Formats: sequence, C-alpha cells, structure tokens
Amino acid sequence: MIGLLNTIEHNQFSQWVTNSPSVWAFPMFLFLHTLGMSFVAGGSAVIDLILLGMWPKQPIKPLERLYPAIWLGFVINAITGTVLFCADATTKAGSLDFYIKMLFVFAGVYVLQVMRKKVFADPQLDHGPVSRDAKLLAWASLICWFGAITAGRLLAYVGPVKGGGLNN
Amino acid sequence: MNLAHIHLLVNHFPTVGTVLALGLFLVALVSDSVDLKRASLVVFFIISLITIPTYMSGNAAEEMLRGRAGVSLPAIAAHRNAAQLAIALMEITGMVAWLGLWRFRRQSNFGRATLPAVLLLSVVTLGIVGYAANLGGSIRHPEIDDPGTKTSAAAKDTPAAVPEKPSAAKELDPGGLGNYVTDEKWVWPTCETLHFVGLSLLMGVVLLIDLRMLGVIKNVSFAALHRLLPWAILGFAVNLLTGMLFFAGRSSQYTTNYVFQWKIAFVVLAGVNALYFTMFDETWTLQAGDDAPVMAKVMASSAIFLWIAILFCGSMLPFLGQSF
Repeated sequence: MIGLLNTIEHNQFSQWVTNSPSVWAFPMFLFLHTLGMSFVAGGSAVIDLILLGMWPKQPIKPLERLYPAIWLGFVINAITGTVLFCADATTKAGSLDFYIKMLFVFAGVYVLQVMRKKVFADPQLDHGPVSRDAKLLAWASLICWFGAITAGRLLAYVGPVKGGGLNN
Repeated sequence: MNLAHIHLLVNHFPTVGTVLALGLFLVALVSDSVDLKRASLVVFFIISLITIPTYMSGNAAEEMLRGRAGVSLPAIAAHRNAAQLAIALMEITGMVAWLGLWRFRRQSNFGRATLPAVLLLSVVTLGIVGYAANLGGSIRHPEIDDPGTKTSAAAKDTPAAVPEKPSAAKELDPGGLGNYVTDEKWVWPTCETLHFVGLSLLMGVVLLIDLRMLGVIKNVSFAALHRLLPWAILGFAVNLLTGMLFFAGRSSQYTTNYVFQWKIAFVVLAGVNALYFTMFDETWTLQAGDDAPVMAKVMASSAIFLWIAILFCGSMLPFLGQSF
C-alpha cells in the first residue's frame, strides 16, 4: 500500500504540484478547492437555512436550481482534492483527520441527495409547513458541511504538511 | 504616495467623517426626516467600511516610522490599542446601521431599537475614535510639543519616556490582543476554520442572488432573497472579526503584502455592492418570474467577481507576496 502511495506521490505531476514555485501549481489547486467548498457548503447552507424557517411564506421549490451550482463545486473539489491528495498521498492516507473529513463530505453529499428526493420532489412541499424530516435533514447537512470545513482546515495543523514551500 | 500617506488620508473618515455623520443623524432625528435618517445610516455603514483600510494602513505607517528620531514605539502601541477598540465599535455601529437599512427596506420603518442603538453606538464610537486619534497625533507632531518642558506630547501620554535618539528598530509590541492570538495555540486554527465557515455562508447567499439576477432561478421574488441578506452579513462579520484577529496577531505579514492590500480594497467595494441589494428600489420590486434590470445583473455579476477575487487574494496570501 505504501508503495502505491509513494508512486502516486512521486509521479511527475504530483511532484510538479508540490514543488513548483508557480502559482498555477499547489496554490491554484488549493484556491479552487476553497472556491468549490464555498459553493458546496454555501449553497447547501442556504437551502438548509431556508428549510429551517428563514424564508417564511416563500416557495422553496425554486431553490432546487441551486443544485447544479453545488454539484459544480463538488466536481471542482473532487478533482482538486484528488490532486491535492496525490501530492501528499503518504501523509494524507495515514491521517485520521483526512478520513474524518471524507466521512463528513460523503455524508453531506448523501444528505443533499436524500433532500432532493424526499423534500424537493415531494408534491406537498410549499403546500404546507416544512416537514420535520426536512428540518432534520437540514440540520444534518449543516453539521456535515461544518464538520467537513473544520476537519479540512485542521489538515494544515494535524500532522506534517507539504506543498507550495510550506513545511511544518 | 505610500501606505503611511494613505493612513494619514483615510484616517479622516472615521474621525471627521463620524462627526459629520453624527451631525447629519442628529438633524435627521430632530427633523424626523426618513430620507435623512436613511442617508445617515448609509454614511455610517460606508465609514465603517473605510475604517478597515484605515486600521491596516496604520500598521504600514508604523513600519515606516520605526527607528526614526522622536518616534516612540510605546506611543504607537497605545494608539494602536485604542484603535483596536475603536474599529470594533465602528464595525458594530456600521452593522447596526446596515440592519436599520435592511429593516427599513422590508417594513418601511426602522423598528424601535435601531435608531437609538445607532445613536448610542455612534456617540461612544466617536469618543473612542477621538481618543485613539489624539494618541495618534501624539506620535510625531513636533509643532504641538511643549517647548518649555523639552518632552514631547507622547512622553506625557505614555509611561515610557521618549528617547531623544532613534529607538532601536525592534518590532512593535503586538499588544494584549495580538499576543493572545499568537500565544494560545488554538486561536489561529479556530479563526481559520470560522473564516472558511463565514466565507461559505457569504458565498452561498451571493450565489443565490446571482443565480436569480442572471435568470437561472427565476421563480423567486427578490424580497424573499432579501430576507437572507443578514446571513451574508453574518458571514462577513465573522470574517471581519477573525480577519482582525489574524491581523492583530501577525500584522507584519499582511501590511506590505500587495495581495492583502488588493483583498481589502475588494472588501470595501464588495461592502458598497451589498448596499445596492440592501436598499435599491429596482431590485426590491422584482417579482417572481420577472427579468432583472440590467443594473441588477451588473451588480450581481460584480458581486460574484468581487467575492471570488477576495477568496483568491486570501488563498494566495502565503504564495504571492510572501505572507508566511
């Protein structure tokens, strides 16, 4: 396993991401990862806050059209996240914090999907008060993305970090 | 023109500007003019935005003055400590003023508490700003030194005597707040996490407003989106607070970093952009299904551009401009 991770980390592209002083290497991937995060977490947070009552007497159904922006953010993060992982594979693969983050991310995505099927596809949405299940899903979503952001940010602090000239 | 120059220029906004704003506000209250009240709140909000680069350019001014004859680091530290309190109060005043504008847009009244709160906050803020400004004036104004006693005004105001020779070019003491931020290991990572949470919240609301204005999500009235603006302001407030803590802890790594300067410039512009969505009629009257007017589309596009630019500058701080 460690052999595979080493190979990933030491291939030409990964090495370029980690070691190049160019702003298009590590810095750009980190920036895009943060941007994608803001779309996913931000878009989800808006939907969650609205389900939790910040939008009284307004139709909720139109907000389903936020999902493409959220998925765009997720795709950006899947790609940049993979690259960032590869650039530091041996460390990340051994980091508990990384797995906690990924758990929150996948849980958050799952909750978003369930929300789409159970809340946005419900013909009763906007014809009565928001259901208790919908509110629980909203809380779950907020917790997942808050957890993902926290775990992700702490990656720079728990365990060795490489990339872009930063070393600790 | 350098950053010290800029500090001397923009510091007039939180000082003289607040005096004028308060004057306008008092006239508004006495004459019970709704338009003047709204105008006053706008002025308070804009001054609170300009106070941000005012504070930060102060650090740049300090770096330029460090080591010069007649300049006392303790005097600068006293001024900076007072300025920390002043900016905190100024930003709170600005946010409450914004809330008043937001509420007025929705309900055509300011609510019972808002205007008295702004009055109280602005008076207290002006007091602290004046105190900070006075300390600032003591740093290096030879023309107001009393020639009889041979000590500068700074020496009278601070416990440490001002040496006649240039002080050793040591770093400015970060002060109680700055030291706390760097001494307590948990503070920086916590602030960073909250900074990301705040920016996500802000970006989420900006995204939704943009998608509405650009026609992707049409079946929503703007009045509904307007309801979410306080969440965006909350995200901004969290980031302003955590940002100030970063700055207090490690100002030297930000002050002369051109990427950081751009970031702050964009933040001020984005704050003004937010006023458009808070107040203007042409967005407020937008109903579900309406096509947004051109100006709204321009402002929405510039909002997303500005916030992405701010995110970019923030992300690039360690890499461009050598912050860390």
